[in-house]
Amino acid sequence: MQIAGNPQSQLFAMAAEVPNASALYHAAEKVRDAGYTRWDVYSPFPIHGMDHAMGLKKSWLSALVFIGGITGLTIAAILQFYPSSIEYPLVVAGKPTNFFTVPAFFPIMFELTILLSAFTATFGMLALNGLPRWNHPMFNWDLFKKVSNDGFFVAIESTDPKFDEEATRAMLEGLGADHITLVYGD
Amino acid sequence: MSDHGTKISSKEFFDYQGFGGKLLFTVVLAVLSLGLAAWGGFLSSKQFAFSWLFAFTFFFTIAAGSLFWILVHHAVDADWSVVVRRQLENVAWLFPVLAILFIPIIFNAPTLFKWMKIPPGVDPLLDGKAAYLNEPFFWARAAFYFLFFSTAAYLLRRNSVRQDKDGDPRHTWLSRKMVFAMLPLFALSLTFGAFDWLMGLDFHWFSTMWGVYIFAGSALSSMCVLVLLITALRSAGYLEGVVSIEHYHIMGKLMLAFTVFWAYIGFSQYMLIWYANIPEETVWFLRRNTGSWNTLSIILVIGHFFVPFVILLFQATKKKPLLLCTVAAWILLMHILDLYIIVLPTYHKAGASPHWLDLVCLLAIGATLAAIFLKRLGDAPLWPVKDPRLGNSLKLRN
Repeated sequence: MQIAGNPQSQLFAMAAEVPNASALYHAAEKVRDAGYTRWDVYSPFPIHGMDHAMGLKKSWLSALVFIGGITGLTIAAILQFYPSSIEYPLVVAGKPTNFFTVPAFFPIMFELTILLSAFTATFGMLALNGLPRWNHPMFNWDLFKKVSNDGFFVAIESTDPKFDEEATRAMLEGLGADHITLVYGD
Repeated sequence: MSDHGTKISSKEFFDYQGFGGKLLFTVVLAVLSLGLAAWGGFLSSKQFAFSWLFAFTFFFTIAAGSLFWILVHHAVDADWSVVVRRQLENVAWLFPVLAILFIPIIFNAPTLFKWMKIPPGVDPLLDGKAAYLNEPFFWARAAFYFLFFSTAAYLLRRNSVRQDKDGDPRHTWLSRKMVFAMLPLFALSLTFGAFDWLMGLDFHWFSTMWGVYIFAGSALSSMCVLVLLITALRSAGYLEGVVSIEHYHIMGKLMLAFTVFWAYIGFSQYMLIWYANIPEETVWFLRRNTGSWNTLSIILVIGHFFVPFVILLFQATKKKPLLLCTVAAWILLMHILDLYIIVLPTYHKAGASPHWLDLVCLLAIGATLAAIFLKRLGDAPLWPVKDPRLGNSLKLRN
């Protein structure tokens, strides 16, 4: 078995290359069915249905975005109603200063809801993906540079409870994967 | 990645065996309610005129929305909507029938559109609009709308049905080329149709957002009708293995999107008029924000936006056909209310006064269209069986 990275440091994963997107999809299904939980697949482009093949559950992102949107709505409502209706009520163009002036405040409430939803979606997505980060142990593997061009990889992380050098290797070989490699940290 | 070898066991054609009773019932209902509406027309021609316009525009917007979804499907090369497209084509192909159902409006036009009875030189505001608001141009426009909508619906359905026989992808290309010519004409026809028949009820009033407002309601309610149609066919045992929960998910997402879009456009129109507070613009909302009309307007805002928005927000709603159908039916009810608030205040100025003719006209037009829809349902397969993108549509995953 090949070795990448610094063997003195911690073992990150056992990784292997598969020939194409379709093989990666079916490999993911088999790894999922084999019961692994801490593993990942890498490809140059998004593969439709991969979340299903990997057995990923529904992301928490939508819940985060909902909270973000509600926060934006609340901030906008308070920022407008507190000064205009409570602290210093000012009659503008004959419009009421009570709750029924709400149409004038809607645009801000709408925009802030969208803004904070979008921010939460973007930054929440990055956070849930563990990004940004300086480096990734997989980069220690020279072959892995193909991942931004034409390489498709699957990696079973060493922290997986089912991780076992012999069994995992046998499983990867069973997938028809090439270049089975132990990827270490720096 | 299209595979042509996908085998579907579900029946391609609608089977009329054992359905004759229901079809006959719909026809009898249509004939009876049309007769009742005609009788009502003799009793109170003015009430009939407004009730008929209200009912007519409800079904007109649904057919227009269906045509819109077909146009968009071809324009963007959509995959997912292939399996549901035939039902949209069937609904849009009701336009020639709608043209016939427009006849009562022709005879009642001076009652509905007051500007027709005002001679030139009396109303300076009308004189300013005379280049647009004159009878020859008005009727020419109406003829053009029906001609365009019917032709567009016919051509797109024809291409689709021809493809069912030979499976030639050239029909898809032809449709795609056609829709780019149809899209601008569709936008103009729906916008000016909404101007002519709904905004024209009060010729003093104007809103440049009116066409988009009616369009938003059309696209939303036709998507709701599609959900109901597909579910009805599925519960009758059709489209098995063709339409999946994934398709419901997308239709639900579009319902959510257009619920928001309707509210966005409706509010934008309202807020600009409310904030500027110019009498010639506020006249429309002033009447609809007074007395019982105000109550109905508030129900509309809550029922047409907040209720479906909150329910549709959750993914689980869109993946449960029965729940999605309930929301779709509710939105259609709200669309009826929307058009009721648009049309009837012109007649019942003091406040809402529901009349039995409102219901009878809805029933008359609805049952007529339903009977013809059901009669034609068996003419072609229930989904485009040889569409080149059918494989991708069947394999749909969100």
